Amino acid sequence: MELLLQTLLNGLLMAGVYALVATGLALSLGVVGIVNFAHGEFLMLGAFLSYLLFAFRGLDPLFALGLAFLAAFLVGALTYWGLIRPVLKAPELNQMLLTFGLSILLQNLALLLFGADTRVVAPPYQAATLALGPFFLGAVPLGAFLLSLALLLSLQLFLTRSRLGLAVRAVAQNRLAPGLLGIEAEGVYLLAFGLAAALAGVAGVMLSVMLYASPSVGFLFTLKSFAIVALAGLGNLKGVVPAALVLALAEALVSTYLPGGGGLVEAVFFLVLFLALVGRAWRGA
Amino acid sequence: MRLVVEALETGYGKAQVLFGVDLRVAEGERVALLGANGAGKTTLLRTLSGLLRPWRGRVRLGEVDLRGLSPARRARLGLGHVPEGRQLFPLMSVEENLRLGAAFLAPGREKEGFERVYGLFPRLAERRRQLAGTLSGGEQQMLAIGRALMGFPRILLVDEPSLGLSPRLAEEVLLALRAVAEEGVGVLLVEQNVALSLEVAERAYVMEHGRIVLEGPSQALRQDPRVREAYLSL
Repeated sequence: MELLLQTLLNGLLMAGVYALVATGLALSLGVVGIVNFAHGEFLMLGAFLSYLLFAFRGLDPLFALGLAFLAAFLVGALTYWGLIRPVLKAPELNQMLLTFGLSILLQNLALLLFGADTRVVAPPYQAATLALGPFFLGAVPLGAFLLSLALLLSLQLFLTRSRLGLAVRAVAQNRLAPGLLGIEAEGVYLLAFGLAAALAGVAGVMLSVMLYASPSVGFLFTLKSFAIVALAGLGNLKGVVPAALVLALAEALVSTYLPGGGGLVEAVFFLVLFLALVGRAWRGA
Repeated sequence: MRLVVEALETGYGKAQVLFGVDLRVAEGERVALLGANGAGKTTLLRTLSGLLRPWRGRVRLGEVDLRGLSPARRARLGLGHVPEGRQLFPLMSVEENLRLGAAFLAPGREKEGFERVYGLFPRLAERRRQLAGTLSGGEQQMLAIGRALMGFPRILLVDEPSLGLSPRLAEEVLLALRAVAEEGVGVLLVEQNVALSLEVAERAYVMEHGRIVLEGPSQALRQDPRVREAYLSL
């Protein structure tokens, strides 16, 4: 029983980061209408930024969080302006090929610059744990969970209270009307794409401590995020948190209870994606 | 401020739809644009608000030539457009839809806009927390008009507000537009309900095959044999 609860607890803590990354993907999909295969590369950017600042400046990853948010926002906004904007009206396949190509380009650029090694950012508190009765919570996963939650709540407030946030949701619901109301959709797209990247960038910093930084770490999270977004319903932001919870708990359970589970964890999202798509087709029919 | 259209021509692909359209709407004026399905009325409105590029001709709002300006820029200059099919944000509340109509104004003017719209359509005030997608057809039309009014337009283009509404609701909506014009907004009303629009508008244009074929005071058009035969079935 204790093992089960500990497992569920671990899954819950991981779900926060998953939700953070997947929310970004859902934003670019729901608002801009772009399937962004390079989403995880914004995460990789955050992870390497955290690593570089830690390794060469001795800067605590806590400082990297804010920097990664800004840097990823900027890179996201530039990506939108330079690459996405010109293909907004192109066929979907072209858009997907573009973001897929960007993903491969960025991964190989990182490979060239940093090599294929995984690099871990190890601040003094990396292995610290908090005892909660019979259970143990890693300080870093707990902090990452709480920060993810805080960021998602802020995003929720932004989208429901501020006029700019309303405009982001409006563009997602109707392409024609915002322009007639004096809202430049392109500015909103830029903001949404930048925010999506920024969320991934922050998650990258968290993962540089919890997992590692490597050229391919982002792509793994792109795939997992797709599984979550498919489960939530494409572009449905509210469904992302429960869907992230499903994936994270499923992974935790597999890792604890399946013999050789550790190796199978990275396959769980395939199963989730498969079931989500089959379930959706079943209901649609 | 006046909306002035001169010799406007446009179309889709190679198919020309508008042929040399001239039209004027002044602030506070109620003008109807009449014509059968496919006459080019909606195309004209889309060109005026910048959704469609003109091939030739000019559109001016006051002193400003609107050539090349985006729909958003035109809206900010005071040109409102209640589009065909209402184009609401279905998953947002009535209040959120209205706030978006004032998104480009200083935050202080939002309150003024709410008072004006809720005064015009008390029913929207009752339903302000309800999702736009769950409103009845008449309420949706009121919301579409109210949302455009939140931006304090000087000239308002309204595309078929009575479409799909019961005769009683259609009349209610058109009378609200008359009240809007009395506050000084110029209203260009596109309608297939010719009898009703001629009652509400002071002046009207009749369009056929992309050309303005008749124009004049509503009173005169009601007596015109061509209008009576083609549109009023008298």
